Amino acid sequence: MRLRTIVAVLVAMAALIAAITALPAGAQDDGGKKKVLRLGQAQDVQTLNPFVAQDEENFRAWSLNWDLLVNFSPDDLTPVPGIAESWDVSPDKKTVTFKLIEGAKWSDGEPITSKDVKYSLDKLGTDSLIFSGYTSNVTSIETPDENTVVVKTKQPDARMIGGLFIYMIPEHVYGKVPLAKLKKDFQPPLPMVGSGPYVVTEFEHGRILRMERNPNFRGEKPAFDEIQFIKYGSADAVERALRLGEIDAIPEAQAPSFEKLGQADNVKTDRAPSPSFTQLTFNLCSEENCPDAKFNPAVQDRTVRQAIAYAVDRERVNTISTRGTSFPGHGILPQYYKSWYEQPDDDYPFDPDKANQMLDDAGWTREGDGTRSKDGAELSFDLFVRSESPENIQAAKLVAEQAREIGVDFKVQVVSVDKLTEITTREVDGKMAPDFDTFIWGWGGDPYDPSALLQLITTDQIGGSSDAFYSNPEYDRLFDEQAGEFDHAKRKELIRQMVALSQRDLPYLVLTDDPWLEAYRSDRMTNVAKQCPKPSGDVLCQQVNYAAIAELEPGEGGDDGGSSTGIIAVIALVVVAVAAFLFVRWRRSRGGREPLELET
Amino acid sequence: MNPRWLAGKVAASLVTLVFVLAFNFFLFRVMGDPTTQLARLPRASPAEIEKLKSYYGLDKPITGQFLDYAGDTARLDLGISQRTRRSVWDEIKDAIPWTLLLVGTGTVLATLIGAWLGVIAATRRGRPADDGLLGFSLFTYASPEYWIGIILILVFAVWLPIFPAGQQMTPGEDFSSWFAQAADVAEHLVLPATAMTLMLLGQYFLIMRSSMVDVLTEDFITVKRAIGLPWDRVVRQHAVPNALLPLVTLSAIQFGIVAGGAVTIETIFSWPGLGELTYDAINDKDFPVLQGTFLVFSVAVIIANLIADCLYFVLDPRVQTS
Amino acid sequence: MTDLRVRDLLFDTWRGRIGLGVLGLFVFLAIFGSAIAPDNPTASSLDVLAAPSADHWLGTTENGEDVFSQLLAGARVSIVVGFAAAAISAVLGATVGLLGGYFGGWTDRTLDAFENWFLVIPQIPLMIVLARLLEPSLTVLIAVIGLTSWAGTGRIVRAQVLTLRERAFVERARALGASDGYIIRTHILPNTLPLIFANTVLIVAVAILSEAALAFLGLGDPTRISWGTMLENAFSSGAPSAGAWWYVIPPGLCITLLVLSVSILGYLFEEYVNPRLREQHA
Repeated sequence: MRLRTIVAVLVAMAALIAAITALPAGAQDDGGKKKVLRLGQAQDVQTLNPFVAQDEENFRAWSLNWDLLVNFSPDDLTPVPGIAESWDVSPDKKTVTFKLIEGAKWSDGEPITSKDVKYSLDKLGTDSLIFSGYTSNVTSIETPDENTVVVKTKQPDARMIGGLFIYMIPEHVYGKVPLAKLKKDFQPPLPMVGSGPYVVTEFEHGRILRMERNPNFRGEKPAFDEIQFIKYGSADAVERALRLGEIDAIPEAQAPSFEKLGQADNVKTDRAPSPSFTQLTFNLCSEENCPDAKFNPAVQDRTVRQAIAYAVDRERVNTISTRGTSFPGHGILPQYYKSWYEQPDDDYPFDPDKANQMLDDAGWTREGDGTRSKDGAELSFDLFVRSESPENIQAAKLVAEQAREIGVDFKVQVVSVDKLTEITTREVDGKMAPDFDTFIWGWGGDPYDPSALLQLITTDQIGGSSDAFYSNPEYDRLFDEQAGEFDHAKRKELIRQMVALSQRDLPYLVLTDDPWLEAYRSDRMTNVAKQCPKPSGDVLCQQVNYAAIAELEPGEGGDDGGSSTGIIAVIALVVVAVAAFLFVRWRRSRGGREPLELET
Repeated sequence: MNPRWLAGKVAASLVTLVFVLAFNFFLFRVMGDPTTQLARLPRASPAEIEKLKSYYGLDKPITGQFLDYAGDTARLDLGISQRTRRSVWDEIKDAIPWTLLLVGTGTVLATLIGAWLGVIAATRRGRPADDGLLGFSLFTYASPEYWIGIILILVFAVWLPIFPAGQQMTPGEDFSSWFAQAADVAEHLVLPATAMTLMLLGQYFLIMRSSMVDVLTEDFITVKRAIGLPWDRVVRQHAVPNALLPLVTLSAIQFGIVAGGAVTIETIFSWPGLGELTYDAINDKDFPVLQGTFLVFSVAVIIANLIADCLYFVLDPRVQTS
Repeated sequence: MTDLRVRDLLFDTWRGRIGLGVLGLFVFLAIFGSAIAPDNPTASSLDVLAAPSADHWLGTTENGEDVFSQLLAGARVSIVVGFAAAAISAVLGATVGLLGGYFGGWTDRTLDAFENWFLVIPQIPLMIVLARLLEPSLTVLIAVIGLTSWAGTGRIVRAQVLTLRERAFVERARALGASDGYIIRTHILPNTLPLIFANTVLIVAVAILSEAALAFLGLGDPTRISWGTMLENAFSSGAPSAGAWWYVIPPGLCITLLVLSVSILGYLFEEYVNPRLREQHA
């Protein structure tokens, strides 16, 4: 190979490198004018169609795009004006009249009227997968004029104010689409018409969801021009992206690496209570409700359940199974509900001695360290837990470990979520027939109204969402009463009594109250405050209210815009390799030897 | 090429395709209980499950369902993703180009580098260079490709943060020119393509090496050498082209392995191709999508095999004269 | 004399010795790994993703479990699944190959079409689909891998049977009135066994890699630790981004070494078997 050829090739490569490095590194922002907030998540937004969607990622986008009829205050989550500016409850409490905000417009310029409210409450309340149930008590929704909505209910229903978690969607967009299509594969046209501070302008599945400022937003103009939700293939990639500065915040960080993440440069983490919990459920189905259910009858002995509650150290479960990122549970109403929460009297502080005493007194005997028994019945229960949640599995093992100390034997069975669904929704001859003793799972509630969670153990929900199959007429009566009680103090007392009942009977032993875990770049976001509710809420107010995100301001930290060191490194490597190769060939042809010999 | 022979091969491929369709259909309808799969609500009530059953037409007789399925597939109606509620075909359509880019780059590089190393090893058979290369290729063949991918991430994106966190482009950027965008994609492509290349390298290397060794012992090589041609020209111009033959068809036949590798590698690097689509579908139990990607992979392999047969026919002088 | 050659290959070549040694080590771990592990592999602690130390030679996982103990315990799943699945595959492949090759005609053509189809279908996607439809467990894994890997063996066996069928000693046996079953059992099968065996050893390597891949994708047995699930847990809990190399490198390395040792042995057997293909005993 001639020297000239080598030189020519090298020159060509140098020119190529110059060309590539000359172009703007990766892609510069247009003069850095646009302020973009980038949020990273490992799960994509499922779909924007509110009729069929089910995942929480959707709420992150919806809560920025739309208002509720009555919003939640970021200060304390109590009801504040949303699309409704004010409301009046009639003396018989069965009619609520909402006066809507005047002159408000959708992002496409159309006025927001009572027609939209009626459409949203009617259609989403009846025909959607995730918003149905809130309007079960509603008998009629009238719209006497453009700015008034009159909702009549069968019984007084306090949920009408602050409990109707149904987004107000534009009737002129969704109203003309046939219902069958709405429930099948309808994709909302973009930009997605809304009333919140941002509206979705681009949705590229598996990559990015872009939201830009709503020009007709009636509140204060938010500082960020654009919000992007970026999908990565795994939680690991999301964290890497945050560390590298590719994104600015993570709405759902992982518990195992939470602490380490907080130690990274310029990264702050935030942990706040959320309206969800993890519980140990007991099968309390009565003979009447579930004649064919299969379970160990001992699980329906209240003393046994109470003893188990004393034997499980919920602090420890919290510390180990969630790495201390959750909060110990105190009953069916999580501490998140600041307006309603009171620590229950029956709180079952960790006391294995007391547990042992209770079981001894009740006649459950054991040999040495073995399992207790009485009259042929054994305190041996299966404990199902879903394989998809390592935290749940961990919690199950801890429960089993501690229960062994008091002579209760839990057989932990790890199954898939499908299987768990199957055994808890098993039916025989039209009646529920669940096939389990205990299992661990979780529930999540709404931001303000506790009814969603309290309802889980009512008799009505057997055949619906009840998974403990608890049935207590007193509890049911209290539930209906609190649902119709508009007076806060009275309602709180009713709720206290309900919690007391649930703590006495223990259909659920609530192990942990689960958190919002967020992480963000402190150099990219300022004016960050914990709210929803203040002072201990999360910084993004995710899925609840757009106030927090609308108030965020960009920080000093520059936007790298993606460095191109990678490509330069590769090019350099290739150049060196080619140069070396050419050099060797040139040397060889100079020497005229025959370096390749065949071994025969 | 004999048109009758070609027609025969195409017919055989079509028959295989029909079997694949039937298999796909029966697998999902008969083996799994579609209703629990369809009920995405983690805690669906029995009433909701009944509603879904009738909605998806699962109360029709099986043969009727299969004909529906076959007809739909022909029209590219592969159903609706349970998760995103978009058509499965739309999801797949968006993903295919990215998988092709990744797989194509990996295959081309693996072929080139594998062939080159194979020649080196064959011409130094028995010596340290050969042993070293054999060991290296065996190692890459035996190691899980996703493990290699994770190590690449560890070294080149965590310890030495010179490569991006994932995806195929810097998300949300507006690119100033086509060239800038291409450069960005290229930067994101480096690590996943390296993982894919390393995964495939071993096979190409081994085949090339043994093929070269065979060719080098053949008579016509000895003759060329005897008449005084310089050795490296003998190797370059006569041995290598003949040895390349099996390599060409290997690419096509390797498709099955490539499909598996695509799933794991794309997952690790958040590369939005068919592989990541499959992985998400696994986690979400989104069966329509899973069915769709499986179909696409199978069809791709069938087509690849057909092309391989044709290529071999064209390239191998011995087959042509028979 | 034939036996002597095998032993030579196994024990006198350095390839054989290394292959056997490494494989032996892993089989030992498969049996005794859990017993000799310093900690309970699933004993979690608060020391999460910690670097290697005196307490934890290979550091800890995202649950604070001891990586080294998990590594030792994980050998069992790989070995069990690898060998069991390969065994199933061998039986299936050999049966199909024997029946098709010996009887010919329509039997052969149907079996061959069946086999071709399995060869064409991309393996990992097929395994994914099957595993996802069933509840993930060790048995399901073994079944799925075994049922999808037999086609290669089947093809090789069939080719071998075709040549054997025409041999003189088979003609003689048939002339003497021996039944098909007898001929297959005493003449054909013994001569194909070495081939089946050599091929199966290589299938073991593929089965181990397949199990690891399925586990990595989340389709493994959730109640058991395997190297594949270790990698899956590491990946999904952010270990690579946290720089936890002690968690990420060892499981993959073990898979590689095990597969390497099995492959080396497999290639050794293949070498041994190939020249012997022409020999038979009548």
